[in-house]
Amino acid sequence: MTAGAESILNAKIPEGSIQDKWKNHKAGIKLVAPANKRKYTVIVVGTGLAGGAAAASLGELGYNVLNFCIQDSPRRAHSVAAQGGINAAKNYQNDGDSVWRLFYDTVKGGDFRSREANVYRLAEVSANIIDQCVAAGVPFAREYGGTLANRSFGGAQVSRTFYARGQTGQQLLLGCYSALMRQVDEGRVKLYTRREMLDVVLVDGRARGITVRNLVTGEIESYAADAVCLATGGYSTVFFLSTNAVNSNATAAWRCYKKGAFFANPCYTQIHPTCLPQMGETQSKLTLMSESLRNDGRVWVPKKKGDDRPPHQIPEKERDYYLERKYPAFGNLVPRDIASRAAKAMCDDGFGVGPTGYAVYLDFGDAIKRLGKDMIRDRYGNLFAMYHEITDDDPYQTPMKIYPAPHYTMGGLWVDYNLMSTIQGLYVLGEANFSDHGANRLGASALMQGLADGYFVIPATIGDFLAEHRPDGLTTDHDAFRASRNEVDDAVKKLLSIKGNKTVRQYWWEVGRIMWNQVGMGRNEKGLQQAISDIKGLREDYWKNVKVGGSAEDLNKSLEFAGRVADFLELGELMARDALGREESCGGHFREEHQTPEGEALRHDDTFCHVAAWEFKGAGKDPVMHKESLEFENVHLAQRSYK
Amino acid sequence: MNQNKPLRSTVGKKVIMAVSGIFLMLFLIVHLGGNLTMFAGSDLFNSYAHHLEGLGPLLWVAEAGLLAIFLFHVISAFQVVAEKKRARTDRYAVTASKGGPSKVTAASKSMIYTGIILLLFIPAHIWMFKFNGGEPHPVTEVHGTEMKDLYASVAEAFANPVVAFGYAAVMFLLGMHLRHGFWSSLQSLGAMAPKCSPLIYTVGFIFALLLAGGFLVLPLYFYFTQIGGAA
Amino acid sequence: MKFTIKMWRQEGPEIPGSFVEYSIDNVLPEMSFLEMLDNLNEEIIGRGEEPVAFDSDCREGICGMCGLVINGMAHGPKRACTTCELRMREFPDGAVITVEPFRAKGFPVIKDLVVDRGAFDRIIAAGGYVSVNTGSAPDGNAIPISKDIAEKAMDAAACIGCGACVAACPNASASLFTSAKISQLALLPQGHAERKQRALRMVEQMDREVFGNCSNHAECEAACPKSISIDNIARMRREYMKAMR
Repeated sequence: MTAGAESILNAKIPEGSIQDKWKNHKAGIKLVAPANKRKYTVIVVGTGLAGGAAAASLGELGYNVLNFCIQDSPRRAHSVAAQGGINAAKNYQNDGDSVWRLFYDTVKGGDFRSREANVYRLAEVSANIIDQCVAAGVPFAREYGGTLANRSFGGAQVSRTFYARGQTGQQLLLGCYSALMRQVDEGRVKLYTRREMLDVVLVDGRARGITVRNLVTGEIESYAADAVCLATGGYSTVFFLSTNAVNSNATAAWRCYKKGAFFANPCYTQIHPTCLPQMGETQSKLTLMSESLRNDGRVWVPKKKGDDRPPHQIPEKERDYYLERKYPAFGNLVPRDIASRAAKAMCDDGFGVGPTGYAVYLDFGDAIKRLGKDMIRDRYGNLFAMYHEITDDDPYQTPMKIYPAPHYTMGGLWVDYNLMSTIQGLYVLGEANFSDHGANRLGASALMQGLADGYFVIPATIGDFLAEHRPDGLTTDHDAFRASRNEVDDAVKKLLSIKGNKTVRQYWWEVGRIMWNQVGMGRNEKGLQQAISDIKGLREDYWKNVKVGGSAEDLNKSLEFAGRVADFLELGELMARDALGREESCGGHFREEHQTPEGEALRHDDTFCHVAAWEFKGAGKDPVMHKESLEFENVHLAQRSYK
Repeated sequence: MNQNKPLRSTVGKKVIMAVSGIFLMLFLIVHLGGNLTMFAGSDLFNSYAHHLEGLGPLLWVAEAGLLAIFLFHVISAFQVVAEKKRARTDRYAVTASKGGPSKVTAASKSMIYTGIILLLFIPAHIWMFKFNGGEPHPVTEVHGTEMKDLYASVAEAFANPVVAFGYAAVMFLLGMHLRHGFWSSLQSLGAMAPKCSPLIYTVGFIFALLLAGGFLVLPLYFYFTQIGGAA
Repeated sequence: MKFTIKMWRQEGPEIPGSFVEYSIDNVLPEMSFLEMLDNLNEEIIGRGEEPVAFDSDCREGICGMCGLVINGMAHGPKRACTTCELRMREFPDGAVITVEPFRAKGFPVIKDLVVDRGAFDRIIAAGGYVSVNTGSAPDGNAIPISKDIAEKAMDAAACIGCGACVAACPNASASLFTSAKISQLALLPQGHAERKQRALRMVEQMDREVFGNCSNHAECEAACPKSISIDNIARMRREYMKAMR
């Protein structure tokens, strides 16, 4: 753990005890006077929970905000799809929850690969998030007495998860969105929809704007600002099939990486345990079922290999409730990475069910007996309906079939305690950054982190930077912007000019296959090396042989995806490199060479207790890894056990 | 804009339509009540009409009010249709309903057409009965009082099959108009508790059936009782 | 399975569109409607032609980005379903399927099946919020809200803003969308302070966007993928009338 001293990465963690760090930091932060705030322009890219909350909150403070989104409306950002809930250390249930416990659970859940100070701050502001959302009119579930209801969620022994049916993400996003639209109405936020960020513009080493493609007219536009906040989500779509939206992509973050923002822990990806199994090659995405289902559903496979009897014909004693067997303390509620790997292990060993043998049962039979069908419908009605809709199977009658799917990426652009990346003035929020979840994210924590960053962190920390960097009247006529527009324009034209014979989607599917097979739930040295060389080959082929339909001058989905897939073909390689370098197993990163005798993840804290932040060194050159060492002063490093 | 003139908003127009519609329905109930006195014989009906005419200026005020309400109803109806035309200039090649909670019926879709027919019908109707087609009304005496024999005018008019069946047909269309209108007016005023909504929709059907039925019976009754008889 | 698709093609907002017929083979019954279109587009790109533009994002029925009129029905024949959730097993093998964009003056066509629903954002901007700045909220449990009210508010809040209500309405009215938001915030105590202004301003904006009036056909509720009830429209009118006073 010596890398920290000479590392060029300064996390800027405030002094003081962990309980006082955020308080002290806020107290010492420089402020921008109210009357001066409107002279500053801040660009926020993305309108999900992090971006939407940031744009709204910065607008409320008085900054002049330019907010961009890829969809036709900010309300459609993919945060909308989160189902289960949002954690907060409210202890409304009197079950012993506290900020400390949420902090501890999150650090432990992240397999001790996150930054303590960030996580503590996250737990600290979690309670304010709930208050804010309630005030904004989010219709959280209530008890009969009128108080807020909670449920427990994977990896937690307390009930701290707030929810709005199975649509928590949607409701929180609409809360954010309404606050955002209020600022739009008041003229403090200017909204740019159907814009895809394709470059960050640096002037004197500082982020001063962005270049976007207007997805309707095809025009390449650039915008100048005093700071740029990136809240563009994660990169699970590198796997092609994931639970993310089809437009979710890594491009904005990747282009920032190529301009000097370090990319941290790209190999930390989360494979969500409760998704619908894959059906065929024509599928466009995988569907996630909230893991809240695991509260009442019991996961099992037949005890006999290849048992193809229908589930109701398999008697109780011939069923293996393997999560309950292996992890008696947490049972079906073990963290996601553990549940996912256990499912994979059962299927690899031949116990899987369904036509492909890659699925396990999630059974509500007992819960329906215990609680009644109505109660189950109350809790999971929309999820059951969705399952029924897609599979044509009725989960009230027959167990669901589930299998893990790529879902969330803990890795992302490296940021310091203030959420600033290694590019001055470029802030990264929400899933797009790497900061709070370590190697694995706990259920119901993504919404918490997005809103924490957007509502409470960035409004405080950005002022500190802006107070030191006064507005200077920079416009997009500056050479840096012109160069950026030309660069983006050239890249677009190049993609269209190749006119090869393989479509963008075919390449995407192929890179996704490589990633899923070699850089998915189980990774090993040989596979990772294979992946690196395969991706390189595919990338070279892509630039010779891709076929992009349509033109640059109007709405062209094929062209949009072409740029994104080009980036996946680079990002995928970096993920594999990172996974290869991290010779340990932790959280969502499982190296088959490093496991305990029981097949659990085996960390090597003496050599890998650090963040791996990658620096781009130019096309065709190997990226360089920098380490930020992780100090654990408050939490005792321990092998995670959920037994 | 509308904040100062909220009645000119879409919601406001529907409120006007609903309120005027409800008044018109109340009027129809009273009108039907009057009509039904015919079954009790000519004297009762003629006295009722005579009594109404005796109200003098009060009647004129009531008639003017009714006319105003009617015009409000008609004008907002045309505005709603104009808004509809403006809101979808490119039409679908195919349209279909998913059914279920949909309340699209022949009645709901033809409101403007049944409405226009009623609009054309009403002046003719008034001309025919109130002014007896421009002729002086026959005169009769009830309990020593001389009065117009409206009963005779009605009986005579409905002896003509074209008039009798024409009337019956229009009354059927009135029923259709009310079938959607009754429910719609309460919905437009937000006057129903959500739980009552299906009930009111059914009540609307029964209301339309009764009212149209009541109006429809009369011309047919007169026609069939007079075939080959009085003529 | 095999289908013939009568597809609306329109190069741009001002360019008149027309139907083009495509046939597609090897469709699996469990494929979603949009996956079928993805595959069709792969074939079209393969032939060097311009792929069909259509919107979609989450592909699990919650973002509200997708929306096609399929055989004359917004989001296709299945009730309480978005286009992305619609499976091809809903159609008989060999069927001819007509695909059109949402048609309404308030939703101008951008290209092919893609329409501009910015009007909905502007309606929300006119008052679909509680004016509470970040950081000024009282404790979440400070105001008890009965379960019943919370559930009703949630029913209204379930709107995904897809615009199927407008597309399906014989009058192209946006009443269901507008009323769902007004309803949600009228039910919850947090929204009470600004309920009058909200009702007036949101309705005013809705009118300004050139949507039609509501004739209580309830076709919107039938088309709504989240089955949002027209009771919300009734509530919106009550709110509006209260505000008129």
